[in-house]
Amino acid sequence: MKENIVIIGGGVAGLEAAARLIRLGYSPIIVEKQDHLGGHLAEWHCLFPDMTPASDITAHLVGEVSDANIFTSTEILFINHLKDSYNVMLSNGISIITKVILFTTGFRLFEASRKEEYGYGIYNQVITNRDLEHWFNTGEDARISSKPMEAVGFVHCVGSRDEKAGNAQCSKVCCITAVKQAIEMKKKFPEAMVYCFYMDLRMFGKKYEDFYISAQRDYGVRFIRGRVSEVSENIEGKVVVKAEDTLAGKPVRVTLDLLVLMAGMVCNPDSTKVASMISLQTDSDGFLKSKDNIMDITSSSRSGIFYAGACTGPKTVPETLAEARSAALDIHNFIESL
Amino acid sequence: MRERFLTGYNDFVLPFLFGMAFILTWCLVGMIRIIIRLPREDRRRFFLSFLNPKILLKDIKDIICDCLLHVKLWKRNKLLGYMHSSIAFGWFMLIVIGHIEVFFYAPHRAKLLYFPIFFRYFMAEDDSTMGGAFFFFLMDFFLLVVLSGIALAIIKRIHSKFFGMRRTTNPSFMDLVGLYSLWSIFPLRLLAEGFTADISGGSFLTKSLNSVFHAFLGNHVNMLPTWWAYSLALCVFFCALPFTRYMHIPTEILLIPLRNAGVKIRHPRKGYAEAEVYACPSCGVCIDACPMGVMKTHIKDTTVYLNRQLRRHNETRIEEISDKCLLCGKCTAVCPVGVEGDRLRIAQRSLRQYNITPDYSCIDTDALVRECSFGGQEDGKVLYFAGCMTALTPQIRKAVESVLTKAGIRYEMMDRDGGICCGRPMLMAGRFGPAEEMIRKNTEIIRASGATTLLLSCPICYRVFKENYSLDGIEVIHHTGYFDRLIKNGIIHLGHTATKYVYHDPCELGRGCGIYDEPRAVIAAAGELVEADKHHKESICCGGSLGSLTLGFDKRQAMTANALNNLTKASPDSIVTACPLCLSTFHRYADRPVEDIAEIVDRNMN
Repeated sequence: MKENIVIIGGGVAGLEAAARLIRLGYSPIIVEKQDHLGGHLAEWHCLFPDMTPASDITAHLVGEVSDANIFTSTEILFINHLKDSYNVMLSNGISIITKVILFTTGFRLFEASRKEEYGYGIYNQVITNRDLEHWFNTGEDARISSKPMEAVGFVHCVGSRDEKAGNAQCSKVCCITAVKQAIEMKKKFPEAMVYCFYMDLRMFGKKYEDFYISAQRDYGVRFIRGRVSEVSENIEGKVVVKAEDTLAGKPVRVTLDLLVLMAGMVCNPDSTKVASMISLQTDSDGFLKSKDNIMDITSSSRSGIFYAGACTGPKTVPETLAEARSAALDIHNFIESL
Repeated sequence: MRERFLTGYNDFVLPFLFGMAFILTWCLVGMIRIIIRLPREDRRRFFLSFLNPKILLKDIKDIICDCLLHVKLWKRNKLLGYMHSSIAFGWFMLIVIGHIEVFFYAPHRAKLLYFPIFFRYFMAEDDSTMGGAFFFFLMDFFLLVVLSGIALAIIKRIHSKFFGMRRTTNPSFMDLVGLYSLWSIFPLRLLAEGFTADISGGSFLTKSLNSVFHAFLGNHVNMLPTWWAYSLALCVFFCALPFTRYMHIPTEILLIPLRNAGVKIRHPRKGYAEAEVYACPSCGVCIDACPMGVMKTHIKDTTVYLNRQLRRHNETRIEEISDKCLLCGKCTAVCPVGVEGDRLRIAQRSLRQYNITPDYSCIDTDALVRECSFGGQEDGKVLYFAGCMTALTPQIRKAVESVLTKAGIRYEMMDRDGGICCGRPMLMAGRFGPAEEMIRKNTEIIRASGATTLLLSCPICYRVFKENYSLDGIEVIHHTGYFDRLIKNGIIHLGHTATKYVYHDPCELGRGCGIYDEPRAVIAAAGELVEADKHHKESICCGGSLGSLTLGFDKRQAMTANALNNLTKASPDSIVTACPLCLSTFHRYADRPVEDIAEIVDRNMN
């Protein structure tokens, strides 16, 4: 079929939607800012709750879209609204006239240095969840020493559910990611003490609760309910974390070799920029605003513009996949009705 | 000149006399009330200040400059300054010259209070007194000056932007009564004197008015009603005065000697606080100054409205306004009469009753003392107190420690592993008891450490250590001042770069402690210093202040954005501040790097 479909973003949602559209007989165009496909998933090591390697999933998703037109290292310069279609101008000089645009622009990881009290960028022993995944993948990080670790800490909700950081929303996946990463660290350093500092644990997904219980029972990860108040460095080059254990009602202080900040999902400024070109609305949390947050999450207020994945709010990988499929179907129905 | 009437009296002087008697009694009673309610030592200090010729001279100078000439307003806004001084000084001169006239031409009437005011009604000109033309000219001249002031006042009321004021106060009903009666006094006087100009004589204004409108003004039947109207306008103004903002005129004359005597707010409502409240002229300069003013909903939370509610004893609103304020002190800095908006609010907060009062007396200081007195007493020992805000912005502490180490200065930390709060947050909340407890504990630790210099990174701590601690023999210094001295003494050297820095004056360091030059000197040594649109004492609060007890986080964002906008006018590469709270507030929304001075010094040290 000759109808053009532009998919902005080649992450999980973009790839899956493209794959489904190809199966429906379309040839979608994927525009990706980075030089590779896969989005955040490409940087991840393995996924909860079954420790599936992220590279397997990325490879599978990329393999499915080999028939699509893919522009990597390409950005959207502008989008014009024509009478009943859109003119999309790309940074590689190509311009596309299309009736359908799918936003799969995803999220951005919260900039952890904005929470100064946690010392990211100040102390070498403080890293983020992404840094840790990168280390799992490559084994390279100048900040992480090769010596066995004695104690590791995870801070939940860094830049999520935090009005002061400007993000009131829950990032959904950090709780379970922290549990997963804690288990992985424990596997690497069985002798180490691993602490998780949390506000509350939102174990909503399939097998999440089992995973959490296993972390406590089988791996001995210590969960401390309370926010970290401040982080400092001691003479031996370790980080000293002060927090409150709100269950015990006492302040706690632990000395750690590594502190991992579970940076949350925030709206992607690039996504907002592109959306503003065709005056799409953003919701109160900064993410793109769906036509309806229950019935019509993949539609925008404009005809022919669709959303899938984390551009409308934090989501897990299975949720994103489901939404991408749903958006593909919506697009198919929309084109049929033209 | 001769008298027209043997009695030297007419019934129309009665309203004026009544008004005058009323206002004089009111002011006298009010003054006694304020003085009696001062604490005993303050009262003593107040009376003694009149015996000190230096203070007395300052009193006189301040009263002339502030109440008559409005010098501070002139400096701030020429048009506003002219408007106020023309009315105040012009009216004052009318009264003075009026008395001189009486003294010259009818000295036997000098004891009559009303005679100088209605002089031209009671006197008639004859050929022998042409010398009076000089006084007539002066009288007409000053009447014209006052009238020009009134004209400006009317324009200001209609179109405040003409005066460069974005917003002005919304007058209360009584303010309007006072306002209109004040406006009507001088045109009525002009009219009344116009009627009598052909009898009593006049000058360029009254005489010409009489000649031009001779058909009307020459008709003496209309003369008496006009003089009645003039007297009535005076009566209305005087009687309304205590209930309007114009009460600031007499109150300021009392406030100036009180302030010069060193009297401070000791009670939220009585004594000096009351004098400040009534000295507020409702000019509204604080409305544009207030950092909360970026949102229209907060206009009624400015100092001018606090004073109005305090006069009305509206407790609910007083509490709301007092709690909401960020205590940045800008209203105090710009106030032409010296109303201390921040201190007034803290005093109101002290009235609050709390169910739980924390008890800090059981805090054991032994461990803390041990930690910072390793080296024992030694001359020139530096004790570094980072404070809780610096603990939350570790980059500052790291930079300060790094500079000290590189400079080879021996120092010990007072709160490496937790310490006691400086007490300022409690003081700001008006909870003086717990604050004093903490001040006592910290004083113990500092004394025991044997240090001679107390180094601070947080202006909030710095201010309380300066103002509320008695640390004689120990120098209290903020790191900006300390680094400045290290550079000047050649102990550290900074490499100069081409980076463009803008300096944000933190409220507590700038307006609070008057430290403006040292941080600028340090920055200038490290790079190019540019100024924000509003700086020094006009600097805009970052919005993160812990002074406010109720202001929500969502409301502060607009203030931070406004402050950032002000800072980036000269498009600097980096924003520099000297307060950990400002740093973390700006860091959240800034589009360019935000740094503390210590970080710059650390980076540029060679």
